[in-house]
Amino acid sequence: MAEAMVRLEGVHKRFGDLEVLKGVDLHVAKGEVVCILGPSGSGKSTLLRCVNLLEPPEQGEIFLEGHDICKGPGSGTGESSWELDFVRQRVGMVFQQFNLFPHKTVLENVTLAPRQVLGKPRAEAESKAKALLERVGLGDKFQQYPERLSGGQQQRVAIARALAMEPRVMLFDEVTSALDPELVKEVLDTMRELAAEGMTMLVVTHEMGFAKEVGDQVVFMDGGVIVEQGKPADVLDHPREERTQKFLGRVLER
Amino acid sequence: MSEFFHQYFDFHIMGAHFSEVLEGFLKNLLLFAVVVVLALFWGLVLALIRQLPAGRKLIPLRGVTIAYIDVFRAIPLLIIILLISGGIPFLNFLPKDIRIPQWFGQPDPFWYGVLALTLVYGAYMAEVYRAGIEAVQGGQMEAARSLGMSHSQAMRHVIVPQAVTKIPAPMLNEMISLLKDTTLVSVVAYGESVLVGREVLAETFNSSAVMLAGLMFLVITLPAARLVDKLIARNQGKITRGAHIEVA
Repeated sequence: MAEAMVRLEGVHKRFGDLEVLKGVDLHVAKGEVVCILGPSGSGKSTLLRCVNLLEPPEQGEIFLEGHDICKGPGSGTGESSWELDFVRQRVGMVFQQFNLFPHKTVLENVTLAPRQVLGKPRAEAESKAKALLERVGLGDKFQQYPERLSGGQQQRVAIARALAMEPRVMLFDEVTSALDPELVKEVLDTMRELAAEGMTMLVVTHEMGFAKEVGDQVVFMDGGVIVEQGKPADVLDHPREERTQKFLGRVLER
Repeated sequence: MSEFFHQYFDFHIMGAHFSEVLEGFLKNLLLFAVVVVLALFWGLVLALIRQLPAGRKLIPLRGVTIAYIDVFRAIPLLIIILLISGGIPFLNFLPKDIRIPQWFGQPDPFWYGVLALTLVYGAYMAEVYRAGIEAVQGGQMEAARSLGMSHSQAMRHVIVPQAVTKIPAPMLNEMISLLKDTTLVSVVAYGESVLVGREVLAETFNSSAVMLAGLMFLVITLPAARLVDKLIARNQGKITRGAHIEVA
């Protein structure tokens, strides 16, 4: 088997007395879309945040393109690790609350990191940003401030902003959960296109339809461990584990 | 009653000493202008050090900064002024230009005042900056870091520009206090308005010149206080409407 894009081995993470991840193994191939489901508090968001070291794990290993990002001089502390640059320039993240920079225009939101982190000249960063914004359907919003945009538009800007760093992996943390129902589709469509273009994606979501249609793998988490994983049709339609069955029963009732 | 008015509002004495008191007041303003620039800068430096991520090697620097901010806010300003003006001139290991500074044609008490006020108001303003930084939503730092920005890049381009828009009212309050506190430098013979007023008081046993100095402060500080109220009201309006603070 080819080296995974992302590989987790026995990842543990605790906040004080609370152990949020209790040994997670996961294998994500290049171009694969992995949808992570589970009740709140199951550790799925923490898992994503471990992958880009926003929450460095205490124990276990995470490999990115075969490179162990938990080793190195500052391993375990996150902040002083030389792996941070390696990781954050290869892993893009989109958040539930968008987290656009409210004091910057849409275009500046997208160009800030390429200019400051990669040192790209303004013109180059802007032409790239404009192309990305047009791709997510926001070609007429360059000079707007985020607060003038709908939630769905803001989230698409956030996706463009992450893509501007040319990541190899994209993390999506419940990116449609804060949106009005009629705005969910435009964001999911953008993610579908991204998946179709071959982006490797880890998607924490409650959108079962999206998981079934776009996901190559579905992972069900509960209590800090992976309870069940496999093809979407297997896990979603014929769950083997009782916890998965219960969760899906509750979710699909709505 | 007329005795009261004569003691505090003798227009004859006020008129006779108006230009001296005004000249003194301009010295208050000059001291204020220099200190406000230095303290705004020094306070930001302190606040940024205080907000450094808890990395191992930087912990002593953070600890020292927190101790500094606490101590300088806890000691009366007058004592700091006296310790500086009464001590530095006798620290013979320092060069004379620092022991008895006469830079830019300003007398040494002016510079002792600049140092004391900057040290103390830097600490106060650091706390105001900190409040502003902490008021920026936590997701902003995460978003910046997830894009590969370093802590200092995130602070510079994302956090601080938003933080400063949240603190004009408390910062203006500190500035009003600072302007008033420039009068304390009179105790080390900086010839500002209160010192002028006290000299008149000593000659005439009449407080009108000191009152005049007080009135001059009112002309600046009262409108400034109203402005603070307006800023707070505007801010609260924005919070209740649930909108971001406009920075455009």
